This record gives sequence, C-alpha cells and structure tokens, in this order.
Amino acid sequence: MIRPHDSAIVRTLGHIVIPIAQLFGIYVLVFGQHGPGGGFVGGVIIAASMILGILIFGIDSPDSVLARKILHGDGLGLLIFAGVGGLCLIGGGQFLNYSYLQIPSLDEASQHYVGILLTQIGVAVDVAVTGVSIAVSLSFEEDEIPNDEVTNV
Amino acid sequence: MSSNLPVLLFLVPFVMGVSMPLLTAKRRSWCPNITLGTFGVMLLLSIANLRVVLAQGSIEYAFGGWAAPIGIAWLNDSIAAIVVLIMSLVAVITQIYGRLDIAKDLEKSIPYYTLILIMVSGLVGVIFAADLFNVFVFLEVVALTGYALVGAAGGKGLVYAFRYLLLGSFGASLYLLGLGHLYVATGTLNMEDLAVRLPELMTSTAVAGGLIYIFLGLSIKMALIPLHSWLPDAYANAPSSVTPLLASTVTKVSLVAWIRIEYSIIAPGVEVSHVPVVVLLEELGVIAALIGGALALIQTNLKRMFAYGGISHIGLILIGVSLGNTTGFAGGMFYLINDAVMQASLFMIAGTLIYYHGVHTLEDLRGVGRQSPWLTGALVVAAVAMVGLPPTGGFFGKWNIILGALEAQHYLAAFTVVASTLLTLAYFLKIFSCWFHQPQHATSEPLVVSNALRFSLGAISFSMIALGLMSDTIFQFLIESITTGGV
Repeated sequence: MIRPHDSAIVRTLGHIVIPIAQLFGIYVLVFGQHGPGGGFVGGVIIAASMILGILIFGIDSPDSVLARKILHGDGLGLLIFAGVGGLCLIGGGQFLNYSYLQIPSLDEASQHYVGILLTQIGVAVDVAVTGVSIAVSLSFEEDEIPNDEVTNV
Repeated sequence: MSSNLPVLLFLVPFVMGVSMPLLTAKRRSWCPNITLGTFGVMLLLSIANLRVVLAQGSIEYAFGGWAAPIGIAWLNDSIAAIVVLIMSLVAVITQIYGRLDIAKDLEKSIPYYTLILIMVSGLVGVIFAADLFNVFVFLEVVALTGYALVGAAGGKGLVYAFRYLLLGSFGASLYLLGLGHLYVATGTLNMEDLAVRLPELMTSTAVAGGLIYIFLGLSIKMALIPLHSWLPDAYANAPSSVTPLLASTVTKVSLVAWIRIEYSIIAPGVEVSHVPVVVLLEELGVIAALIGGALALIQTNLKRMFAYGGISHIGLILIGVSLGNTTGFAGGMFYLINDAVMQASLFMIAGTLIYYHGVHTLEDLRGVGRQSPWLTGALVVAAVAMVGLPPTGGFFGKWNIILGALEAQHYLAAFTVVASTLLTLAYFLKIFSCWFHQPQHATSEPLVVSNALRFSLGAISFSMIALGLMSDTIFQFLIESITTGGV
C-alpha cells in the first residue's frame, strides 16, 4: 500500500518532472519514425511518469486522474492496432500493408507515415496501460484469499 | 479477400476477446452468446480456408506485403487448414457444452470469456506461424491464458495452475534459448530459410544444442513423458466448462509446432554424430505411449485417467510423425486431429458426470449407465475411437502408424502402437465394468439432460465417426502437403 508523500520538495519536483517526462514520452513515440524510439519505449516513459505521479500524490488525488482513467482502457491500444490492420485489409492489401490503408486524400508515403504512427500510438497506449496496471495491482489490491485458506492448500 | 483468411481467422477471436469488456459491460448475459457466435464465424471461415487451400495448394501470407525472409510470413498449408478447422469445430461444440456446465461465478465473468477467445486466437497463430519467433509469441499467448483458465475456478486449481505456470515458463525459456542458438548460427528464424541453411551446420554443437533446447521446451508444452507432470493435476482441477477445450487443443497445437519445425528443419535421415535424430524422437514417443497408458490404467480419478490417456496419445503421434515416411506421417497427423476430438469428448463426458451425478472417481461411477443413455452412447463411441476400432478415426490413424512402422522396419514402434491399444482397452474396461455395475443406491431414475447437452455430445461423437469415414480423403490431403515440399 502506497501513501501520498508529504515532503514539499518531492511534491513540487513531481509537479515539474512529471509533465516533462510525459512530453518526452510523446516525443520519443513520434520520433520513432525517424530514429531510435517508438511506441514501446514511449509507452514505457509515459507509464513511468504516471507511476511517479501515483507514488508522490497517491492514486486518489486529482493529479492521478489520468492514471485512474487509463486503467479502464486495457484493450484500446490493441483495438487501434487491429483497426489499422483491418483498414488495410478492407483496402485489399495484406494485414498492415500500409499502401492499401483506407484513409482518403493521402499519397502513398503519407499512408505509410500515418499507418506506422497510428500502430505505434496503439502500442504506446497498451504498454502504458499495462505498466500502470502492474504497478497498481502490486501496490493497491488486497489479497483475495484469506490467510487460513492459504495454509490449507 | 480469400487470401486474407488466415489473418481473419486470427483477428476474429482476438478482436472479439479484446472488445468483450466494451460490448458486455451493460449486458453480462451476452458473454457466452458472443463467444459462441465468434467460434461459429471462425468455423465458417476455416471451412472457407480449407476450400481455398484445396483449390490453390499452400499459400504464404506475407504481413504488410513484405515477403519472407525479410518480412513475417504465415504458411497456410493443408496441415494448418485442417487443424484450424478441427479446432474451430471443437471450440464451437465445447462452448455449447460449456454454457451448461459452468460454475456460477464464471457464468457472467467477462475475463473468463476474454481469456478463452484470446487463447483460441493464440492457437490459430501457432498453427499458421512459419517463423520460430512467431511460434514462441503465440505459444506464450496460449500458455498465459491457459494458466489463468486452469486457475479460474479458484481453490485447489490455483496451486496446480501455479505449477503449470512455473513449468510452462521454464519450457518457454528453454525454447527461447534454443531459438537464440539457431539465430546466432544462421542469422534467420524463418523456417523455410532455416531449412536451407541448417543442414550443412548440423555438425555444429551449437545448432544441435539449440534444437535440443527447442525440443525440450516444446515437450514441456506438449506434456511428453517425462515432462508431463503439470498436466493431469491441472486438467483435473480446471473448471469443467473449459477443460475439454484446453485438453483437446493446447498440447496438440504445441505438437503441431514441433512437427512443423521437425519437418522443415530436421530432414529425415539427418544425423548428429552418427545418431539419426528422428529415431531418437521415435523412441521418446515409444516411452511416452507405453508409460502414459500404464499410468492411465492405475488412476482412480476419471479426469486424471483421461488426461493420462491423452499423454500416451502424444507419444503415439510423435512415433507416427518421426517414422520418416509419408504413411507414418499422415497417420500421425490424422491421429492428432482425432485425438483433439476424442479428448474434447472424454472431458465433456467427465464434466457432465461431475455436474449431474457428482462423479469424480471410478468408485462413484457404479450404476450411472442405467440413468443416462446419452452419456453411455457418447462414452461408447469415445471408447471405440480411443481403443481404435473402425469406423472411427482412431483406427485409421493407428493403422497407418503401424503400416508406416512396418514400412520403416521399426518393429518396436509397431509393437508400441498395439501395446498402447491394449492398455487403452484395459482402462476402458475398468470404466465400463463400473459403468454398467449394479447401482449402489436404488434411486436410479432416467436423468433428464438438456437438448444442448445432447446436441454437443451427439455432435462430438458424430465427428469422431465422420473423421473415420472421410479418412482416405484426409490422408491424401495430408500426404500432399509433404510431397509438395513445405509442411
């Protein structure tokens, strides 16, 4: 069980560091098109920033509202990924063949660009949700099995 | 669109599984219907896929338009098409059955249905994957959902699910280690590519070690004796509603993955320091078939007995596919398909017995036969198929494995098939002697079973006989896949 931190230094620094970390996470996610980075790394950084927020302000504070909301978005990233692939299927190509991505008024290069970016966003969302939910379930969920039952089995 | 059928077969259960919480948040009672509907769509798609493969031969599906070895490829060949078809059929029937025989707390549980759907999508992935790393990923999808499903009923099942998790993760690590060896030695993980590069490297101990790691990892997953210890307890304590699906698919699909690796990478006749590899595998199959049958004979718990029966059949299939000739291979593959149906049938019967009669062990069975004609019929058909009498599919599978063994002059293998048949007959005699025994209590009224249960038991028994009647066609189809190259 994690309680909110009451040190003024930690709380103030948290307010400064967390937005920067989130911005950096989004930068890494978008920059993955041109260099090292991408959805997985970006998602991990975003998740880390949210976990930092939970550690400092607690899960119930208004500062952790995004972390609370995102826990319900388990399958969203997967659906984005599958949806982009499905749009390519509808266009007549193979799964994830961005040349057939059905988004109007895009030339082929932009189709690839948008397709890759969307799948990376899907990956990032999923990694972020998974990271936060691991942290939350390790620290906040109670044991469901009573102690006497554990000793019996 | 027809060329996209493999990926559609994967996407349908996957997307439905992921969006299950969204679709059923307000109406939880829809969960079983949506799951059943998804499996129904999969069945139709897999029939269409079989027709495509019959018309066009094996097709390579290149993801993103990038052909292998640069891109990731799936291979849609006759083995994949037919295994996916049988798997979808089993999924539909076990889901119809599972709706009746389900624990109260699982009945409206969204995670439970999500896990089933994602497990099935993972199974489809393993069957189609033509790339060692893809096989690993999908095997892990199947395994992780499998651990959760085994533990879904809670109680003792959790302990066995945890043991399954430890052993399964160990197997996955071994597989990954072997994969690393092969990748370092060849620089590729695509099976077709490996088949070109590996034969000249077979003298390297790194490659041999890698293949051994891969085999060990997969043999934990397919519960090959002596690495089977997770299976009987896990299946005996898993929720009855899902055990038929688990028992009929998970181990079989790991075996399919191994068969693909064996046939695309280890060509028959390959020797590692003068030891023919496939003969070694065959001996392992002999051990598994005999010990599995003997262990089944000494069980008193019905579910455990059936689980050991399945373990001994894994050995038989391994014998068949490792004989190195097409007859044995087709026999082994055909037996694999049959075994999937037989295991589903047996665990459905065991689950129904627990649900309606509270029967767990052979002792409790006395007199049940007089109460349930439908169960008796289903059990007789399943027993005939397991023992291997015509006209069920079991006979034709075993017959071809024996023919293949004689053709290869491996008399020990032929003897093992016969001996394992006798062991199977022995443990079914044990069951039937209790089944038709005079009831202990004189309270035997004919039991009213629901129509859906009758349908699922009838359908699974019918498919065992139908597989036997269509055996010749299926054999030709399976043999075609190895004579035309890729497996």
